[in-house]
Amino acid sequence: MMRRAACALLIAAIWLLVLGSAAHLRWTAPLLPQQVRGFDASAFQVVMGAGSEDGDSLRVGAVGEDGSALQTVRVRQLQAREFSSLRYRFDGFPRTLELSFVFRRADAPDDVQTVTVPWPGDGWRTLDLKRVPEWHGEISELGFAEYATPQIAPESSAFRPFRFDRAELWSASWRGSFAALYTSWLGYTPWALLSISALGPQREVAQPAPLIPFLVLGAALSLLAAALLLRWSRARLLRNAVVAVAAVWALLDLVWLEDFRAKHQLTESVYAGKSWSERASLVPDQDVREAAEQVRSYLATQPPHQLLVVSDSKYVFLRLIYQMLPLNAVPLEQALGLRWPRRDARFVVYQSEQWHYDEALGALVGGGRAFAVEPVFEAGEVRVYKFRGMP
Amino acid sequence: MTPALLFAWLLPVLCGVAAYCALDARAAPGRRVASLGYGVVLGLLLAAAATSAFSRADTAHAMRTAGPWLAGFAVLVGALAWWRRRGAAPRLAAAPGRKMQKWTIVLVGAALLSLAWRSWLALREILLRPTYPWDAWDAWAVKSKTWYLLGHYAPFVSARDWLAQHPPDAYTGPAWSYPPSLAWMQVWFAGAAGEWIEPLLNLPWFGLWLGLLAAHYGQWRALGLSRLQATLSVYVLGSLPLLAVHVALAGYADLWIATLLGLAVLSWLRWVEQRDPNQLVIAIVCALTLPLIKLEGTIWLLLFGAVVAYGAMSRRRRKLVAAAIVLLLLVMAIVGKLLLPLYGLGWVNVGTHSIDVPILGRLPIAWHAEALGGLLSSLFAQSNWHLLWWLTPLLVVWRWPALRAREATRLLGLLLAAGFAFLAFLFLATDAARWAESYTAFNRLLMHIVPATVTLCVLLYCAPRRARRGRASAFAAPPVPA
Repeated sequence: MMRRAACALLIAAIWLLVLGSAAHLRWTAPLLPQQVRGFDASAFQVVMGAGSEDGDSLRVGAVGEDGSALQTVRVRQLQAREFSSLRYRFDGFPRTLELSFVFRRADAPDDVQTVTVPWPGDGWRTLDLKRVPEWHGEISELGFAEYATPQIAPESSAFRPFRFDRAELWSASWRGSFAALYTSWLGYTPWALLSISALGPQREVAQPAPLIPFLVLGAALSLLAAALLLRWSRARLLRNAVVAVAAVWALLDLVWLEDFRAKHQLTESVYAGKSWSERASLVPDQDVREAAEQVRSYLATQPPHQLLVVSDSKYVFLRLIYQMLPLNAVPLEQALGLRWPRRDARFVVYQSEQWHYDEALGALVGGGRAFAVEPVFEAGEVRVYKFRGMP
Repeated sequence: MTPALLFAWLLPVLCGVAAYCALDARAAPGRRVASLGYGVVLGLLLAAAATSAFSRADTAHAMRTAGPWLAGFAVLVGALAWWRRRGAAPRLAAAPGRKMQKWTIVLVGAALLSLAWRSWLALREILLRPTYPWDAWDAWAVKSKTWYLLGHYAPFVSARDWLAQHPPDAYTGPAWSYPPSLAWMQVWFAGAAGEWIEPLLNLPWFGLWLGLLAAHYGQWRALGLSRLQATLSVYVLGSLPLLAVHVALAGYADLWIATLLGLAVLSWLRWVEQRDPNQLVIAIVCALTLPLIKLEGTIWLLLFGAVVAYGAMSRRRRKLVAAAIVLLLLVMAIVGKLLLPLYGLGWVNVGTHSIDVPILGRLPIAWHAEALGGLLSSLFAQSNWHLLWWLTPLLVVWRWPALRAREATRLLGLLLAAGFAFLAFLFLATDAARWAESYTAFNRLLMHIVPATVTLCVLLYCAPRRARRGRASAFAAPPVPA
């Protein structure tokens, strides 16, 4: 009996040590925070978008022209080193939005520091500020920004009204550290372009400790402790190791399934109940799709041409080419250094600062090169030029 | 689902199942499930082949132009399967099963429920979302979309040839040299859908997922696993997160390579264990398909072919081959290069300081220590593979006698070690290291050997506990009579 009790205590100590290490717990910190600085959402000012007070909360009802909302509050005598956990609570926060914690330091009043934080969901979420490199010195202003989740949510349908309840800053404590660990391990991460290649690296600045190594370490040490204290035979140790592996595997799988479900909820919220033509237009890069449509409409009445596409972003020009299909286009960067295009080729320029039309030269100029062209179409940010040869 | 789409699904699956049954007439435990699994995968590729062969002039109506040929093929191989079944070898014995206790029934139920839940999520994700991941539209769907919207085939050529308009109707793009098999498969389904509806064209990835799991269940049963062991092993395979991601965010070719290599390995193991020539033919068919899916498939085909050939050699011949390899390496060291003709890649020049692959360019050889962190994180810290890469080396060490005792596990271990060594070399010793650091490629290439790795783990874990070297495997079934 004594052995079993000692074993249980040792295993509890092992898990405390392992989880505490994962949480970057300061072992001398008190169990509960000694300093709490709370901010009712109603104290925040709406800088971008629109919102109205709702008791102590702030109801955010619209985003600004750039598709984002921002609420800030000015603070006095707030030393970053005194606070190591940020807690925030929202209600009805849409899955299609991403949340950032923003703050300004007194020593750099013109720089706004932005930290992408875990999606708020229901209830409190906690962020370990010790992992935020810029969190130091005196803080003069803090707030939250909301915008369409990059790479995944179409901006036109990303925003839905939500309620911001409260934010708190906590001094170092066991509770704060473990709450931040809980948020980082069990919080949801939306799909991103990288998801197809790796699950784990996140956009958040404060990268959390990975779950798997700590779980494995805790399980392995627990097995070892139990085997030594309870004098397990080799066969029993193996049997229990198999059970432990199965349990850890099942736990990881449950965590993954919950994350998968949450990821899918975003997809459901954007696309469910819509026809294919509606869904096809609800892509994260709607502006690129619209530009492609404009070029296709313009060229629909013309004989087929070779198109050379120019944009500063590789993603944008490749996406534009895909959306323009079956127009016969290629990125200009792929053609540079090869022979000149034919006279009837067209240049499609979209969102480019590196390439511009020089009216005096009558040429498209960029990257130390120039092509004699004639503007033939312009709509918004997309322009089409007819190639005329060397300037 | 419209009748045309239903037909577009049923016809390839029928074709594939009939083709599998024609190739493998011998009754075995799990054969029906295996034939369905292999059938879905092979059938989808047969649809791609038929579309490529018969629908080039009219891609918008692939069902009309390629469908009759596919149907004719289905009837032919169906008749062959029926004819071959009559003279087939006796049924393989099933592993002795025990009556399942209540807790095992609960366990199996939970595993199946968990698989069904993630399959449902993946299916909904495919059906709702336009093609999402980068290479899915940039590399794999660009040809199918072009051909379908044009209404006919157009060649994809290099940018140089495109600028020269050689040929005049040519297209180009970053992925112009990639194999077009998956593009033709999408053309088949686009023809059935009647318009370019991306979710319907990505649905084959869901079929692939079901095929992967079913084929593994069936073949694991034929390799000696009980129903319980095979079901729980399918859960292990199906629960790996990155596999589910490749289904949900459909459009990449990596899951196809992983599945085909996994299926080739399973059939080959049955040849090794049971000397069933039908399974060897299936293994060869699956392996030969690899380069037709993705360029990396050539590497896996080469490694697979080398290990298969090694396994078929006598000890004396193995020594001769080892000597020949040493000689080749010596020649390379002296001359400074080695020219290898690799199918799909061209003449690959392997030097001591670089490797020149004609369609990829020059890969300088140098140690990239900074990529090691990315590799270790991908294997052991990120959520990509649960505990697979923690457990595989432990299982190999723990069950080393069992691995040595059974030729199938010995050869599979060799194949996976060679595959892993290739990946380690690629990501630690060439410029591909930057993709390991940025986590953009390593896991996807690693995925290619994941089903085969799970097979090794499953065979090792389920092997009889007291297997000794030289002792015949308890799983070995009687060979097919001559």
